Amino acid sequence: MFLEVQNIVKSFQQEQVVKDLSFSLEAHKTLSILGKSGCGKTTMLKIIGGLVKPDAGHIMLGGKCIDGEIPEKRSIVYLYQEDLLFPHLNVFENIAFGLRIKKLPKDEIREKVGQMLQSLELGDQARKMPHQLSGGQRQRVSFGRAIITNPSLLLLDEPFGSLDAGTRQRMQHLFKRIALEFRITSLFVTHDLKEAILMGDEIAFMRSGRLKVYTDKTEFISDPDTGVQNEIGFWQNLLVEPQSRVTE
Amino acid sequence: MKFNWKPYLLTLLVLLILFPFVYLVLLSLASEWRFPQLVPSYFGLRNWTQVLNSETGLLESFTISVVISLSVAIVSTLTGFFISRTVAYHPRKHQLTLLTYFPYILAPVVFGACLSFFFLKLGLFGRPVGVILAQFLVAFPYALIFFSSFWGEKTKSYEDLVATLGGNRRQSFFKVLLPIAKGMLLICFFQTFLISWFEYGLTSIIGVGKVQTLTIKVFLFIKESNFYYGALSCCLLIFPPVFLLYINKRYVFNKLI
Repeated sequence: MFLEVQNIVKSFQQEQVVKDLSFSLEAHKTLSILGKSGCGKTTMLKIIGGLVKPDAGHIMLGGKCIDGEIPEKRSIVYLYQEDLLFPHLNVFENIAFGLRIKKLPKDEIREKVGQMLQSLELGDQARKMPHQLSGGQRQRVSFGRAIITNPSLLLLDEPFGSLDAGTRQRMQHLFKRIALEFRITSLFVTHDLKEAILMGDEIAFMRSGRLKVYTDKTEFISDPDTGVQNEIGFWQNLLVEPQSRVTE
Repeated sequence: MKFNWKPYLLTLLVLLILFPFVYLVLLSLASEWRFPQLVPSYFGLRNWTQVLNSETGLLESFTISVVISLSVAIVSTLTGFFISRTVAYHPRKHQLTLLTYFPYILAPVVFGACLSFFFLKLGLFGRPVGVILAQFLVAFPYALIFFSSFWGEKTKSYEDLVATLGGNRRQSFFKVLLPIAKGMLLICFFQTFLISWFEYGLTSIIGVGKVQTLTIKVFLFIKESNFYYGALSCCLLIFPPVFLLYINKRYVFNKLI
């Protein structure tokens, strides 16, 4: 397996936030992780990204143990719900940021950023400043900035959480396309049921610091804990109710 | 028709605000103006031309004031920015922040008296370096308090993001944090410059009359009842802050809004 997380434990003071977390993921796949607020999703991602130190456990990436690696050496990019574009840099420079840090030649940067802008359908926005962009455009720039560095693993922490329904849907399609195009391996955290099913090649559910990975989508849907059955029941009742009123 | 007082009241207020400044300039141009003379017997640039010679020492005071205030402002702004990060992310953040208020609990003269023993031992009494250090001890906590609001969840997220994008701590500071904080840095520089520029109590104790900043000079002229030189040094005292205020308003404040 490309990513292997083994027995991760993390506590903050007395509270155990992540409990014996273990899972694995194949390369170029996306694992959707569904869970309510405060269930330990963000802490889990930050541990994998090296931003939070776990109390116990190991992380293997590409067959190599990365426990002792600092975040900048892990080749794992963590994307927040907020786009966090650098306000003093324009779209081009925001996307080029990771490449400039790696001190790539200027021509190569120009070429790569140009291609990325086209892939993100932002070709005509290169010189705009972040405050001149819409929410969806900002999030696309944020993706581009992360993907252009060719990370081994992408961690997405509710990336579409702040977008409206329409933009969110467009971004979901865009991410699927980009993930396929750039062969991205990612963990996609969300609290939206539909998004979890749409985005992931595999699905997991996190509750009170414990993660359960489902073998397929059918198992996920049939598990009453995930809330899918409740959701289906809600929509079915909505359809049945007007008819029953008529019969009454 | 109802009489509108507002424009007259506003004009009166503007005149009241401007009067001390205009009067200072007039006084700096005058000499030998005694009661009951309505106008001074001399009115011209004599006092100002004397600034250029060393007789009054005003030019020297102006230069030393600029050097001291620039040093204090630059050092306290930069160290304040970097060290406020350590304080903000420290487990004992609240206790450390409380300590930064300590220099403001005491009057500057009392604070200076407390420091004087150590400054004497270090041989810093009566030296510009000593005055810079003493003023730094007042301006630095101000900078720490000023920048404490900068270090929050969002800034931490920026730092983490840069790290996961492959950037080290230095790159995080120079490529992201410092450019983002540019406006705050300029305002802090301006404020700490003013703290140092108008500082009297500490400077008079640590400088022991040997380091004569413009503020010290103004008080000396007033003590000597030399109102004309007093007014002239006041004009020199006001010029740099007005210039900084203009820069602040023109290039910083407008961009922050």
